Amino acid sequence: MSQIETFYDVMRRQGITRRSFMKYCALTAAALGLSPAFVPRIAHAMETKPRTPVIWVHGLECTCCSESFIRSAHPLAKDVVLSMISLDYDDTLMAAAGHAAEAAMRDTIERYKGNYILAVEGNPPLNEDGMFCISGGKPFVEKLRYAARDAKAIISWGACASYGCVQAAKPNPTRATPVHQVITDKPIIKVPGCPPIAEVMTGVITYMLTFDRLPTLDRQGRPAMFYSQRIHDKCYRRPHFDAGQFVEAWDDENARKGYCLYKMGCKGPTTYNACSTVRWNDGVSFPIQSGHGCIGCSEDGFWDQGSFYDRVTDLTQFGVEANADKVGLAAAGVVGAGVAAHAAISALKAAQKKTQSSKEEA
Amino acid sequence: MSDRTLLVGPFNRVEGDLEIRLDVADGRVSAAYANSPLFRGFERILLGKQPQDALTITPRICGICSISQSAAAALALAACAGEQAAPEGARIAALLHGVENLADHLTHFYLFFMPDFARPEYAGRAWHDRAVARFTALQGSGLRAATEARAGLFHIVGLLGGKWPHTLAIQPGGVTRAPTARDKVRIGADLRAFRRFLEAELFGAPVEDFAALDGAGALDRWAGGDAGLFLSIAEDLDLAALGPGPGRLMSFGAYPGPEGTVFARGTWEAGRIGPLDPGDIAEDLSHAWMLGEAAHPEAGQTLPDAAMRAGAYSWCKAPRLAGRTMETGALARQAVDGHPLGRALAAEGGVRARVAARLLEIARTQIALEAMKAAIAPEAAFMRPLALPRQGAGAGLVEAARGALGHWCRIEDGRLASYQIVAPTTWNFSPRDASGTPGPVEAALVGAPVGPDEDTPLSVQHIVRSFDPCMVCTVH
Repeated sequence: MSQIETFYDVMRRQGITRRSFMKYCALTAAALGLSPAFVPRIAHAMETKPRTPVIWVHGLECTCCSESFIRSAHPLAKDVVLSMISLDYDDTLMAAAGHAAEAAMRDTIERYKGNYILAVEGNPPLNEDGMFCISGGKPFVEKLRYAARDAKAIISWGACASYGCVQAAKPNPTRATPVHQVITDKPIIKVPGCPPIAEVMTGVITYMLTFDRLPTLDRQGRPAMFYSQRIHDKCYRRPHFDAGQFVEAWDDENARKGYCLYKMGCKGPTTYNACSTVRWNDGVSFPIQSGHGCIGCSEDGFWDQGSFYDRVTDLTQFGVEANADKVGLAAAGVVGAGVAAHAAISALKAAQKKTQSSKEEA
Repeated sequence: MSDRTLLVGPFNRVEGDLEIRLDVADGRVSAAYANSPLFRGFERILLGKQPQDALTITPRICGICSISQSAAAALALAACAGEQAAPEGARIAALLHGVENLADHLTHFYLFFMPDFARPEYAGRAWHDRAVARFTALQGSGLRAATEARAGLFHIVGLLGGKWPHTLAIQPGGVTRAPTARDKVRIGADLRAFRRFLEAELFGAPVEDFAALDGAGALDRWAGGDAGLFLSIAEDLDLAALGPGPGRLMSFGAYPGPEGTVFARGTWEAGRIGPLDPGDIAEDLSHAWMLGEAAHPEAGQTLPDAAMRAGAYSWCKAPRLAGRTMETGALARQAVDGHPLGRALAAEGGVRARVAARLLEIARTQIALEAMKAAIAPEAAFMRPLALPRQGAGAGLVEAARGALGHWCRIEDGRLASYQIVAPTTWNFSPRDASGTPGPVEAALVGAPVGPDEDTPLSVQHIVRSFDPCMVCTVH
């Protein structure tokens, strides 16, 4: 493996200065929520470790994940991350085409056997022997299995690869199947969302390239650093929810005042993602800020949970929130108990939901 | 050289998957068959859903033109209710849509089309060094500048739509976000930044100058920016003669606002602009792996033929206007709108015309967006209360970056009973119809030169990419 350049070599070759490099390390640490003490560690890792090759393939999808990725506001992403991972193979962005592209993928796999990360955007349809998504004359599922065989780890970009997303919505005409149900012998990290937030994507990939391991995952296989809180928890309209101030109709007086969108069908209370903190398009805004409720696009099976404009009705957290408010007036020790109960009930709720959806499928 | 058959694909740097079979005779393509090998079944997924869920589902057809899908779905649902969006809401929807189309044109030029000229096969040409420096895939200086400018432009969508791709703000009655005076200032700043990029990098001159070009002669003399570099490459390689279209163009009309559309609806044929009757549209299924008869999208169905019968070769249906193939896209919009350069390019009709028409549209759209921004009235109503009926039918016809996009839907008992989508690339990359007439791209490829050692012919790459195919929209 000694012939592979380090990240730093690659960056220098791309004309990135030492100063920019150090800035990048510092900002990366901040983006990942690490203390400044990690900056030298990140720098050291990048100077000494061979860069990790990345193969990026596309199945049934709409390319929204790539679109999101290339707009990342991540520190110097355009200059650094892209050149660092250098996407040894990418269907949408690479230079080669046709047979040359197929050869490039074979070469990358051979050269970096067992050492590359496979990034999957979209998913394979399994009906009719996979004939609904043909790439290079073969069903995409074969390309996926082939590329996965020698991968070190797999990133499932977006709701498509993680859960199936829109093409898997009922009746799932092509039997679109998430990656982890096809590839079962590799570590898989799910980065759901439709698409995922750009900064989350670059954050995850930078972490993996820097520390050479998966970030801490929650029990659904999502990176905990970005998916451990509900949109609702950090929503800037949350005070209006707690105060019982709701938008009743589009563009009504309450909408202009920025009241809570819960009654307009917002799924923020049941959705785990970083939209309300990281936000979108360089941190400009996010759907709730634009006056439309969250549709829950980072949750499993969000297409088949009823209309996007129906109110969330199985939200027993309502009572819990009220309790928490009341408890807030009481002693601190009781507050702790309230928070713990809240967490327990949320987890229970999630578990119930899972059983319900699996029953429905059965 | 003996006759042979080539299978070209996957095409990278197009959105989605595409495979083209070429028959080659005497060093030229003699017949082409375009296969869209990706089917997801959106039209089936939509059946039985609540009508307004189409606003969330259809944008997922495509992550590049999601606002176009969103706008078409909103118009179709409004038509079901027999209503229109609030005028100021329509203006914001048009602004959002224009930003996306503008960004798509930029992506096409810098990320998808131009990198082909940085290929080593062109080494030695006078322009090659410049092309390599500007357009090498993933690395060229032009690509980096364009990606950055594009991300900045999308701040407008972020601000008004919450997120991009897959913005949720556009509704049948208007938009969910009422822009404030402060938003208006920020949008102005984003548009000015984008104008600076266009004038410094793409045109090397004020956008008004490019928009004022009045014919092929004036275009030939343009030397500024990356546009000038493209034009000199086009002249050297004679891209004007490469890949002629069917000579019939069609536009649904772009950006309906309170003052009408920005670019007109209609058809163009042999130098004449004519009206367009959407009732003349029918989708032919003779060479698609789809079951059923040719039908207008109002009556159409999507029943995939799992047997993938012999004789058919694509998941793509073959839309025709009054039985004839139509090319759609920026070239069509600019010709149908009657712009002098647009009409001259339509008469030219090849690879250069398609790309130059996009450049013209970039310039004109920038100017149009600035006017839309100036007209925003923050105190106005941006959404009209609009109840969807239990029964109803309607169509939403818009212009995506790649051309005419139509949604036809029918509501029965408060649920979607039919939803048919005809995307621009469905028109351009359609397979043959019952009469054996090839689709626009299939016809454009005939005559393209193929070198004896080429198995991924460069000419074919240029022609295919000049249409800016969006294959995920094509079949959906």
